[in-house]
Amino acid sequence: MSTSLSSPTQHRHERPTKPKLGAKYAAATAVLLIITIWAGIGVQVDLPAIAANWRNATTNIVQLLQPDYGFFPKTIPALLETLQMAVIATVISSALSLPLAFLASRATNPRPKLLAAVRFLMNMIRSVPDILFASILVAVVGVGALSGIMALVLFNISIIVKLVSESLDGEDAGAQEAALAAGASWPKANRAAMLPQILPSFASQVLYTFELNIRASTVIGLVGAGGLGILIDNVRSFFRYHELSLIILEILVLVLVLEALSAWLRKKLV
Amino acid sequence: MATLIAQQQPTARPVKPTTQLRTTLWLLVSLIVVAAFWSVQIKWSSLADFPSQLIKYLGLMLFPPDWSKFGEAFKATILSVQMAWIGTILGIIVSFPLSFLASRGLAPRAVNAPLRFIFAVIRAVPEVVIAILILSVTGLTPFTGALALAVGSIGTLGKWGYEAFEGVDPGPKEAVRSTGGGTLALIRWGVWPSAAPEVLSFWLYRFEINVRASAILGLIGAGGIGKMLQDNVQFRNWDAVGMLLVVVVVVTMAIDQISGAVRNKLIHGTWRAPRRAS
Amino acid sequence: MEHTAADIRFSDVSVTYPNGYTGLKTIDLNIPAGEMVGIVGLSGAGKSTLIRTINGLVPITSGSITVGAHQLNGRGGAQLRGKDLRELRSNVGMVFQSFNLAKRTTVLNNVLMGRLYHTSAWRILLGAWKNDDVELAMSALERVEIVPKAYEKASSLSGGQQQRVAIARTLAQRPQVILADEPVASLDPPTSHVVMRDLQRINADLGITVMVNLHFLDLARRYSDRLIGLRSGEVVFDGAGADADESVFENIYGRSLTAEDVLDGQAVL
Repeated sequence: MSTSLSSPTQHRHERPTKPKLGAKYAAATAVLLIITIWAGIGVQVDLPAIAANWRNATTNIVQLLQPDYGFFPKTIPALLETLQMAVIATVISSALSLPLAFLASRATNPRPKLLAAVRFLMNMIRSVPDILFASILVAVVGVGALSGIMALVLFNISIIVKLVSESLDGEDAGAQEAALAAGASWPKANRAAMLPQILPSFASQVLYTFELNIRASTVIGLVGAGGLGILIDNVRSFFRYHELSLIILEILVLVLVLEALSAWLRKKLV
Repeated sequence: MATLIAQQQPTARPVKPTTQLRTTLWLLVSLIVVAAFWSVQIKWSSLADFPSQLIKYLGLMLFPPDWSKFGEAFKATILSVQMAWIGTILGIIVSFPLSFLASRGLAPRAVNAPLRFIFAVIRAVPEVVIAILILSVTGLTPFTGALALAVGSIGTLGKWGYEAFEGVDPGPKEAVRSTGGGTLALIRWGVWPSAAPEVLSFWLYRFEINVRASAILGLIGAGGIGKMLQDNVQFRNWDAVGMLLVVVVVVTMAIDQISGAVRNKLIHGTWRAPRRAS
Repeated sequence: MEHTAADIRFSDVSVTYPNGYTGLKTIDLNIPAGEMVGIVGLSGAGKSTLIRTINGLVPITSGSITVGAHQLNGRGGAQLRGKDLRELRSNVGMVFQSFNLAKRTTVLNNVLMGRLYHTSAWRILLGAWKNDDVELAMSALERVEIVPKAYEKASSLSGGQQQRVAIARTLAQRPQVILADEPVASLDPPTSHVVMRDLQRINADLGITVMVNLHFLDLARRYSDRLIGLRSGEVVFDGAGADADESVFENIYGRSLTAEDVLDGQAVL
């Protein structure tokens, strides 16, 4: 059987040589490997220690698998506070971030300097972990839900503004061009022609932020910013693993239920 | 006057439609929001002092920051980044095969469903909580932090992975099937080539998230910048906190820039994001 | 304020783009109020540039354009900007090749965009249009015969319907001039005729000056009183459509007529 598909009378063309990517890939792999080894040494990767600790840990794990349901009534106020914080932070940050998103998009802000300034500010806020804001704000406004809400708002704004301004960037600007050609100013054209286009993506961003907030509001309590986190910090310090596992279970159920709810809402509203 | 535009007598105007479900949902959402504001225990009056307080603390932190501990801060930051890196690598190693198994059409439903549920559960638990759980096994080391980040990464990378694999253009998949390829051939030649840029960029994105999360893990004692920060906040060394803030912002922004450039290279083929086609 | 028409006058107008490309070369044109003008030429000949200089979407490099009471100048001259530029634009409607509708909102909201210049900022922010403007928008939709679709999303309409909504949007401006930049290039032949007839009736009934860029020669000849041929940014023909025979078109296009140059698919006029 002949391997040639071409007709025998045809002149055989020279075969092109395979482009040499091998060296490039090898170099990239080597770099990644070196970084990984360097980082591994840095964080003291120690698998034998884990194996050794395993026996001590079993008692803890057994405790964690038996949540203390009797503790539930005591968690209700903190649970409620977590929900309140998440709702309030979501509302405030979505109201603030919508106009900021229009200032942060090339498609809706014709002033390059203002655009660069807003973007830089947002990048800066986004690079600070939410818990860092929380620990500073706890010092400034005191322990409690207010500092937590403010930390969440700061963090949320940077996320919503980034994602919504990106969807503005990618939006077809035809209607905006038409509005400008009809004598509208930029703010008017943006409101009338661009806002309706990105409302669905804004709404789904807000719901996503709400989910993030439920999760985050359980964490920022660790530094005293209200919610379930404060409770986690308490029971953890006293090694009360039965209670800890109940709180974790509560977070789990809360987040999963709200995620399902927000997925449903997204379908209905968007 | 308005009728001058149209040549004939005005015809009937359509009635503005209303949707009942939407209205009800909006009312419900508004009600929840009002209830939250009304019931939350906050002294809103303390907001009045906030601007002056903020200026005061910003002054304490940043004018000027205390650079004497910069060396220590730099080392702590490096450790945080190393934690994030190891966490991401371990997360990738575990989540990569799992996300194929979680994709519909690449593995049986009986395998898809439980994996997806596990991803969802992991995503529901904050990294700090994962770290507290792991802590009881490993003790307090940076490696604990890295492991917590790894577990957290499995949740998101697993989900993004199967969504990417399921979202690939069916054309190449059909082509592989039509030449008689099996599931492995399908994954290697029908799915991976289309999904690869997206998946690689998700890995980088998760690394960016882990860099931020690693700072949080320091709070429970996993080491790195978070621990140093917590210590300085506790002792109210505001000028040192200011310095740490600057270090965190600069390092995180730098990593975002690099990672963002690599992601653009992977997806668009250029280091910088392409401008919108006009 | 009624549909008062305005004369348009180009004096020695040139446009050079920042990359050095010449869009228009020393154009002198006088377009009296109420004319229906077709502009033809190859792509890149400057049709789009010519139309977009009239409402200031493309700034001119030298020379001047007067549109009614407004004047646009080249570099060095007094620049029309801010409120004055917006007032000029509010008097000039524009129809685009790709319709340029906000697809996720209603047809009515799209038509009302023609009223943005005259509506206060807070009304726009809240979406609280004046009743008079809503009625004006409805009667504009009436003229293009799609009133029943007023509360449907723009995305649910066919291409031809979308372009007619875009025409209604310009009517809602109560314009003196309507500029149409390849309005039928995205439409099939029967729909193209419907849209062109709409523009023709608007010109005839309301006395609004209409300037249309067209790729298809037969459409241009059929629907316009006056034909302007552009080649490499210069006017190479200006006269009645009936006078434009095949030799004139060969001059405009630099080659003989092909089936692709006419809507009906035959290489004859």
